[in-house]
Amino acid sequence: MSRLRERLQDWFDEWKKTARLDYWLALRSVTRQGRRSAIGLVAIAAGVVSMLLAAGFFEWNYNGQREATIRSRIGHIEVVRKGYMDAGAADPFGYLIPEHSPARKLIETFPQVDTLAPRLSFNGLISLGESTISFLGEGVDPDREKKLSGALTILQGQNLSSSDAKEVILGQGLAQTLGAKVGQNVVLLTNTKSRGIGAVEVRVAGIFSTVTKAYDDYALRLPLRTAQQLLKTDGVHMWLVLLHETSQTDSTLEKMREKVGDDSLQFVPWYDTAAADLYNKTVELFSRQVFVVKVMIAIIIILSITNTMTTAVRERTAEIGTCMALGDTRRTVMRRFLAEGVVMGLAGCIVGVIAGLILARVITAIGIPMPPPPGMAQGYIAGILVTPRLVFDAVVLSVVTAFIAGLYPAWKASRLEIVDALRHAR
Amino acid sequence: MSIVVLEHVTKEYRLGEHMVRALDDVSLSIESGVFLAIAGPSGSGKSTILNIIGCIDTPSSGKVHVAGHDVSGQNPDQLASLRARTIGFIFQTFNLLPVLTAAENVEYPLLQMEELDREDRKERVQEMLELVQLSKYAKHRPNQLSGGQRQRVAIARALVTKPDIVLADEPTANLDHKTGEGILALMREINRKLRTTFIFSTHDKKVIDAADRLIGVEDGTVRLLGVRKEGQWAITNVARKAPAAQAQGKP
Repeated sequence: MSRLRERLQDWFDEWKKTARLDYWLALRSVTRQGRRSAIGLVAIAAGVVSMLLAAGFFEWNYNGQREATIRSRIGHIEVVRKGYMDAGAADPFGYLIPEHSPARKLIETFPQVDTLAPRLSFNGLISLGESTISFLGEGVDPDREKKLSGALTILQGQNLSSSDAKEVILGQGLAQTLGAKVGQNVVLLTNTKSRGIGAVEVRVAGIFSTVTKAYDDYALRLPLRTAQQLLKTDGVHMWLVLLHETSQTDSTLEKMREKVGDDSLQFVPWYDTAAADLYNKTVELFSRQVFVVKVMIAIIIILSITNTMTTAVRERTAEIGTCMALGDTRRTVMRRFLAEGVVMGLAGCIVGVIAGLILARVITAIGIPMPPPPGMAQGYIAGILVTPRLVFDAVVLSVVTAFIAGLYPAWKASRLEIVDALRHAR
Repeated sequence: MSIVVLEHVTKEYRLGEHMVRALDDVSLSIESGVFLAIAGPSGSGKSTILNIIGCIDTPSSGKVHVAGHDVSGQNPDQLASLRARTIGFIFQTFNLLPVLTAAENVEYPLLQMEELDREDRKERVQEMLELVQLSKYAKHRPNQLSGGQRQRVAIARALVTKPDIVLADEPTANLDHKTGEGILALMREINRKLRTTFIFSTHDKKVIDAADRLIGVEDGTVRLLGVRKEGQWAITNVARKAPAAQAQGKP
């Protein structure tokens, strides 16, 4: 092990001394042998473009689904009583938090926080005429939800008007199963905090849909005050915090935990909630597919660089012989050719990234019409989102594969017999 | 003092199913500072002798000493280092690196000498380009230069490391007569000025006339040795399969 370490150290020391020269010469070769390099560059650039577009398309979809999930149902951070995530469903009244409190005030002063909406979750039975089915209810603050549930679509009727109105909005699937129409009165039945039964008659104000069909099949929303009266409580289950940017989630989460310092509260980021499950699974599934795309593109890059460099080694045999006659060691020859591969990979990558960014813009401007995905109610127009992370991946992918692709031709070049190589001069 | 010594050197290589003997028991001793022509028809073995002296080819048997080093048994890296520091090469086809300028081509052999910094290298390149009268063309690439100019760049490149020996394989064969003579005169001048040993292969009588030592090669053996004194060649014929043949004399 230690001998391997020493050798690696030696190589690294040598690399530090020679890299500048190697890469300067490689740059010369690549830029001054235009036509030969161009073929390799185009192939690498094409690979990078296809990777950026394919991965960018998936990225757009993740992003769309993520934002829709966050902005229709869950916000960025859920603040609940500790243990609610695990046991709240079985004992909804054991995990109430106050609707108003100093902690809530403090959270609302964070500059990253856009809005905070309290919610009360419960389930029960909903009746209309002869039919009675179970539902998943959420008492919400209509004013605050306007911002938080921006991605919730009202299909018919209107959204909730005020926080103490005797009205309800139903998920599309729930309304269908029940046969309810806008303007009809329905009765909600549920257990109260005091283990009794509570009932309220409310008017159907509207019918909504979100990106999650499974949710729309069971969900209804009513004004918070009405829900609290129904359950005979003045608490809520959660404060949903909407931030200005999704990317601020982790840093804000940390600051909140630190500053609020209330051990009875738990701060749950959106990706840990049950509602984000579908999103997380989708990302996992598509990431595998993107991985396959990346592997295929890596193969394209390897083949094109190997081909370009094998040709280069063949055409430049006399040149290699000359350099070795002048005193270049086999290692030097190998290093120089490897450097050429890397420079070519990098150059092709830069061209590919620029072309990819332009194409992504154009395609996004035109739009890709999509059918409704499984679990969702409507189709949408997709685009392509090239993130800095994707660009970084593309650079790493092309440079690393270029290096690997250069290994064999570079090794072959370094093993040429000088006398034979010199005979290739014409 | 001998700068190159070959003792019973034999070189065989396989061509298809046959073994070809390119050199057959050649022994030579070459004095430092000579301007030596190795002459012979093509296929006689003169290039092989040059390659073995240049440490880019190894003999099948026999001993080779170059500039005080016993070359036999050295590994490729050791040979590369020996070539870098003691031997300069001039090729029939010039063999400049097409992507580098004239000055960069001349600088190339210096790049691996760690003891020289950028300034030293620039200075030496400048000096060499002046020597071959190409200072004006420093920034030209090889394809912008004529054959004669390219060979001058190659000469500058061969000399820039201040080698003990310069080997030139048919240096004028790809040049017209006049240009060739110019190149020869330049090499001769450098030979006198810097005391660098020049060894070149040729089958051109004009080139032989410029030399002060001659080795005639035929069928892989040394056939004649010549020394020129006061413009007159003193020629010694070497019998086939003679014991050690010697090319000696003071320059």
